[in-house]
Amino acid sequence: MATPVTSGLKQVKPILSLTHIEAHRKVITLYKTWYRQIPFIKANYIIPVTKEECQQKLREQFYRHANVRDLRVIDMLLVKGRMELQEVCAQWKPAATLLRYWEETEASKPKDFMSKFLSGHE
Amino acid sequence: MSSLLKNSWKLSRNLPVTTLKCYPKFLPSIRTNTTEAEKPETRPTIRRITTDIQTIKDLGLYISGCLPKYVQKVQINAGDELEILICPDGVIPTINFLKYHQNTQYISLSDLTAVDVPSRKYRFEVVYNLLSFVFNSRIRVKTYTDELTPLQSIESIHDSANWYEREIWDMYGILFRGNSDLRRILTDYGFEGHPLRKDFPLSGFVEVRYDDEYKRVVCEPLELTQEFRKFELSAPWEQFPNFRLAAPEESKEKDSPKEKDKK
Repeated sequence: MATPVTSGLKQVKPILSLTHIEAHRKVITLYKTWYRQIPFIKANYIIPVTKEECQQKLREQFYRHANVRDLRVIDMLLVKGRMELQEVCAQWKPAATLLRYWEETEASKPKDFMSKFLSGHE
Repeated sequence: MSSLLKNSWKLSRNLPVTTLKCYPKFLPSIRTNTTEAEKPETRPTIRRITTDIQTIKDLGLYISGCLPKYVQKVQINAGDELEILICPDGVIPTINFLKYHQNTQYISLSDLTAVDVPSRKYRFEVVYNLLSFVFNSRIRVKTYTDELTPLQSIESIHDSANWYEREIWDMYGILFRGNSDLRRILTDYGFEGHPLRKDFPLSGFVEVRYDDEYKRVVCEPLELTQEFRKFELSAPWEQFPNFRLAAPEESKEKDSPKEKDKK
């Protein structure tokens, strides 16, 4: 027997921001910091991507979480984004893991039934 | 004559060798038998409780009496280990009290770690192990949190908490508010996920390998089929069957809504 879903307001502790406007500002600030860091990342790392591609990828990564509405999830993503930025700025992160954003080496997953069947999935 | 003598001398030289070779095997059981009788075990594997339980109980009651707002439960685990279960808001006041109060003086943070129990509402249990040099006693403070609720950092009270909290952040993904340097400490840069969470796959999410085609190291997502893992908190082997179902002894219990939620 399925239990009825009880939805209601749950009072939680905020991580960083109290309102959506505040969270939005923080996200924009993080985006700008990353954007301004791109030339330095290009100068520090030897990576086979252009500045435009980096900017495109940055935009893509931020838009990946465009549908996140929970403030705390946004804040958690913000915290992780800041840590990532610190790792990239200080060149702690190696180029190999930085290039994972482009995923060019990964074989794409089979999508239709026949290719799934042939590759052993399903 | 001389040849006979020589022969006999040779024989006498050979004789001890031959006697050695045919070493008599009398009483073969003499080597395996021991003269000592079976002694009762003087040093049993299980630690004997030597400390005074009553003092520990009194201390637990005293602490919960001093901090009624935060202490949810006081229990004695494993015979003589005092555990204080507090709500997450009370981390700073409780640790502060335990450090600076005259009757406790737990000035050393010996360990700070977490436990992941995914079936609970607050899946992470954060454990503070404290040591008092003055009273030569240890205490364990436990609290709980989930993935998105930050805990207050106790770096302002114990400096050593900095790295412990970084470790917990790295291994479990629990945020600590107020930690001055919260970043990864054990995993490699570019590592994804928090490895000590129960839902973390054994193989990890990504693998790093050298690619001949690209002539560089590449980082790729990794998918290995894995059996469904069922997590049991009890040990899979029976260490001490006599002590199997020994629930922690409670010296005081409070019915608070948070505690009810947790159970």
